[in-house]
Amino acid sequence: MIRMENIRKHYLLGEVTLPILKGVSLHIPSSEFVAIMGPSGSGKSTLLNIIGCLDAANEGTYHLDTIAVTDLVDDELSTLRRSKLGFVFQMFNLIPRISALRNVELPLVYAGVAPQERTKRALRALEMVELADRAGHVPAQLSGGQQQRVAIARALVNEPAVIIADEPTGSLDSVVAREIMDLFTGLHSQGKTIIMVTHEEDIAGYAQRILRLRDGRLERDDKR
Amino acid sequence: MTKGSALPRVKSPLCSTRDIFLQALQALRDNRLRTILSILGITVGIAAVMSVATVSAGGRYLIFTELETFGLKSIWIYRDTAEKDPRKAIRSGSGIENGDYEAVRDARSWAINKISPVVSGRGEVFLVRQGNKYSNAQISGVSADYLSINNDTLQKGRFLRDEDITRNRPVAIIGRDVQKDLFGKDVDPVGQSIRISGKNVTVIGLLNQKNRDFLSSIGSGTNANSRILLPYTFLQQLLGTREIKILQAETSGLANTDAAVFLIKDILRRRHGERFSYKAETMAQYITTTENILRGVTLIGIIAASVSLFVGGMGIMNIMSTSVVERTREIGIRKALGASRHDILAQFLFEAMLITLLGGVLGLVLGVAAGYGLSAATGMPLTPSWPSVLIALTVSIFVGVVSGYYPAFRAASLKPVEALRYE
Repeated sequence: MIRMENIRKHYLLGEVTLPILKGVSLHIPSSEFVAIMGPSGSGKSTLLNIIGCLDAANEGTYHLDTIAVTDLVDDELSTLRRSKLGFVFQMFNLIPRISALRNVELPLVYAGVAPQERTKRALRALEMVELADRAGHVPAQLSGGQQQRVAIARALVNEPAVIIADEPTGSLDSVVAREIMDLFTGLHSQGKTIIMVTHEEDIAGYAQRILRLRDGRLERDDKR
Repeated sequence: MTKGSALPRVKSPLCSTRDIFLQALQALRDNRLRTILSILGITVGIAAVMSVATVSAGGRYLIFTELETFGLKSIWIYRDTAEKDPRKAIRSGSGIENGDYEAVRDARSWAINKISPVVSGRGEVFLVRQGNKYSNAQISGVSADYLSINNDTLQKGRFLRDEDITRNRPVAIIGRDVQKDLFGKDVDPVGQSIRISGKNVTVIGLLNQKNRDFLSSIGSGTNANSRILLPYTFLQQLLGTREIKILQAETSGLANTDAAVFLIKDILRRRHGERFSYKAETMAQYITTTENILRGVTLIGIIAASVSLFVGGMGIMNIMSTSVVERTREIGIRKALGASRHDILAQFLFEAMLITLLGGVLGLVLGVAAGYGLSAATGMPLTPSWPSVLIALTVSIFVGVVSGYYPAFRAASLKPVEALRYE
């Protein structure tokens, strides 16, 4: 599913090159639930962004299925994101002024799905997160947990193979966090590949496998 | 592992234009105040351009309607009284006589359609009277062609015929003001008798009203409604002269003006030798002068109005740029969800174009309304021309594209990971 060889990433801060990832190689098979952990600055978010095709590596190869992601240009990455990937962010990242339903429809808009089909699929996705009755609400009218569930519905609506989650419970209290993680567990049991960054051990405990990064390198790979 | 065929490498905007358009519309609705403010900038610009175009078109119409009352193809030939040569200056007389008129008429030149003599006194005061009412009219002796050369039409009765001229008939065609003075506004003067310098003259026709308010207001053009037209032969008899003051001709086209002038002067010179010098006034000159003035005025107006349109465009660029910065995170989200560069570029361009198009339409409505308002107030016919409407709309969309492109390009070029990190 996901195969990375010697991925390197650095940022330029003026004249100084700041290395973030110093050669990461990993393989994540289909339908795995993976947590990426590590102290801040270890490069876990950068690694997740590269896996999610939001950022590009400077060196190394990355294959998603059979696609050589490192060869793709901007618009091809967009196509890849909308066909294979679903995103869940720490800050939910819903568009503030439009309804939950419209937010969930958005990936389908860019995928060119017809309007009626869009609404049908968006409602189905909202049902999966048990928020169909809040379809008409704008984000501000929803609680944090509800907003994150809308975001998960949005991530699911394209029926992606991989869910990319960047600290999905980071802004939620522990009760709501558990609800969200139960949702992820459910998705995983349906065969989704889930790759999640977290810094909380108990949240990482929901995953099958924990990748630990330190200082830009893969330090440990625990499978259960 | 090789690159699979699951992803086409071609850039295909999957997303329909309609959907992107709706996203843009939504964004504009979400920021109502910002949208309204930027629309206003363009509205003012387009309204200004429209007003200038409408007013200058109205002004042109007005001036040309009045110029037409002289006949647009008219030329006037008369003796040059500002003669410097003392041997010529000492001679008296108008330098034109009936034989000259007949010679020009009978020459039947291709450059001249019609010709009429204009006989008038040299400052004699005619006493025009009907019963105990008097009129201060301008009396001219003319031929049958005078009516159509001057674009005159008759409200009642008939104009001069050749036999009125050959038989020196005491008949007159009068203007509306003369009718008002002598008979009253609603009294039919045809068939009635008036007295001119003690002679009985029968009114045979009434001229239609002719408007030269604007030209009179700038000091050119006499009141066309206070004319009394007589057979030139009859007026010569009254004055005791054989002289003609002016030859007025209609050329066969504006381009033939110089040829017609040359021809008439040539005939006069042949008949009189070097005794007199002649001068020509042509409508062609006046039309050229008028066109030049109008073009200059319109150009200045359009430039001035365009400045406000330019400022409006800069305002849009400014507001769109701010909007891109404000919505950096949103753009990042959209890109993460699969929006292509093209999708983002199109959305922001649509936003800019919608603003300018709405502004343009509003400006048009305002400009046209201002035109109608002025029209009602001044009596000038200020209706907008369809081409200028089309141009205004095209210009406003163009301003939208130009001023929206840079911000839209910046939005489209944002890297998703950086945009998402933006607070």
